[in-house]
Amino acid sequence: MLRTLRLAGVGGILAYRALFNWTSPSLFVGSLLAAPVFQLLFFVYLGREIGVADDNFYVLGNVLLAATGACVTGGTMAIANERRYGTLGPLLLSPRSRVVMWGGRALPYIGNALLVMTFTLLCAAATVGLRMPMSGMPGLLLALTAASLSGTAFGMVIGSVGLRAKNTMVMANIAYTMLILLTGTIVSRDTLPAWMSAIGSVLPLTHATQAVRACSSGADLAVVLGHVGEELAVCLLYTLMAAALLKYFEWMSRKGASLDAI
Amino acid sequence: MRWRWLVRVVHRGVRAQFLTMSRARLLIVFNVLTPVVYATIAMYLYGADQPGKLLQVSVGAGLMGVWTSVLFGSGGAVQNKRWAGLLEPLISTPAPFWVILFSISLATSIVGMYAMIATVFWGAVFFGMPLAFPSPVLFLTATGVCVLSMGMMGMLLASTFVFMRNANALANTLDHPIWLLSGMLVPIATLPGWMQPLTWVLPTTWGAAAVHNSLDGGPVLWPMLGAIVLGAVYLTLALLALRRVEQLARRQATLALA
Repeated sequence: MLRTLRLAGVGGILAYRALFNWTSPSLFVGSLLAAPVFQLLFFVYLGREIGVADDNFYVLGNVLLAATGACVTGGTMAIANERRYGTLGPLLLSPRSRVVMWGGRALPYIGNALLVMTFTLLCAAATVGLRMPMSGMPGLLLALTAASLSGTAFGMVIGSVGLRAKNTMVMANIAYTMLILLTGTIVSRDTLPAWMSAIGSVLPLTHATQAVRACSSGADLAVVLGHVGEELAVCLLYTLMAAALLKYFEWMSRKGASLDAI
Repeated sequence: MRWRWLVRVVHRGVRAQFLTMSRARLLIVFNVLTPVVYATIAMYLYGADQPGKLLQVSVGAGLMGVWTSVLFGSGGAVQNKRWAGLLEPLISTPAPFWVILFSISLATSIVGMYAMIATVFWGAVFFGMPLAFPSPVLFLTATGVCVLSMGMMGMLLASTFVFMRNANALANTLDHPIWLLSGMLVPIATLPGWMQPLTWVLPTTWGAAAVHNSLDGGPVLWPMLGAIVLGAVYLTLALLALRRVEQLARRQATLALA
């Protein structure tokens, strides 16, 4: 048990330090802290120009989107960079449990995402204002945590493709862009066509967005918990998908002796 | 005679870089997809009540795509050449390095035009946006000037990013600020007063204003002139920065590490 925890914890931190491209202070601040705040300001001013929704709508949506930079790209790097740096072969020679090994890597990114969301939230409160009743804070915290979990699981799915394919970072960026459109963080899902809204319902952030908006409007905690539960269900879906894809791609690579060949 | 030679080097450089970038299909998809998504967001937000805004939105989102291409293409130009082992050969060729770098920067902004074409096509096909350009010639001229000014700005990025090992950190942060401050999608008048002076010193602001004005009948000549003059200032600063980099790299023999 202790060995398993050690593999997940220490292994996860070591992998984070080795594989996350943005661990240096300048990259961390630039890519994970400053960029989401600028994105938030962009959408707040766009929202003011259009006048469809108030600042709070865009602030809450962008706070959740801020997590995706940290956890979707982070989750992708946690797997795909092994291949990029030529360490995938030795890693897959290890007899240890793949679930623990890959799962441990997700932990630092979940923490990262929470940190980034909190920072973005504080910056938003200081610059453009934030409307959130005190009674909504526990629900907000739960929603942010659920968003971090589901976002990281989503990133691991993209990262698993990195076992076989190149350019996973571009894929992660494309996925991130689609999250902006489909999850209701910037555009209300009621405005989108039904098919887009349907896709959004199985993407990370969508239900967390509903949860934070419910918190902001002073909804009952039970309503918030319902949305958080849906977000966690999406997280479970992507976690299972990532586990299955990692197993399948590893098997494919061994079968075709093509681990680093593609 | 020398001018003809320089133009030839720029032409060849732009062509080579353009073709190289155009072959990176996934990158092109990303460069096109982001502005298309932003255009879609803005179109859904504006809704059917303001059909007159759709063309402005499409073109504005296209300009955002051009800037993204410049930011990551030019910003990473030196780094990419360094990783490919081409930096030393390029610097040691008889053609001045700034000419090569300028052609790369210009090519990245031209590649960004894929985004402009995509957003206008997207708006016309999926949102029924009328392609009612008051003066197509004026629009194309203004767009050309805007792309040129972005290329000049990209040249400054390329030359200053040489100093930084983690230049992509800065590139990651510069996307939204320039989109916002240049008024590509959000009109500058919406921004608070303290931000306004920041917008005046960006060639992209003037370039975007020229393009938008060509659509709504506003003045085009002065913004185009502003974009070219400011672009030339940025180009001059880039040349100074490059000279410094080259001197340092040659003196300390650290070109591959600079």
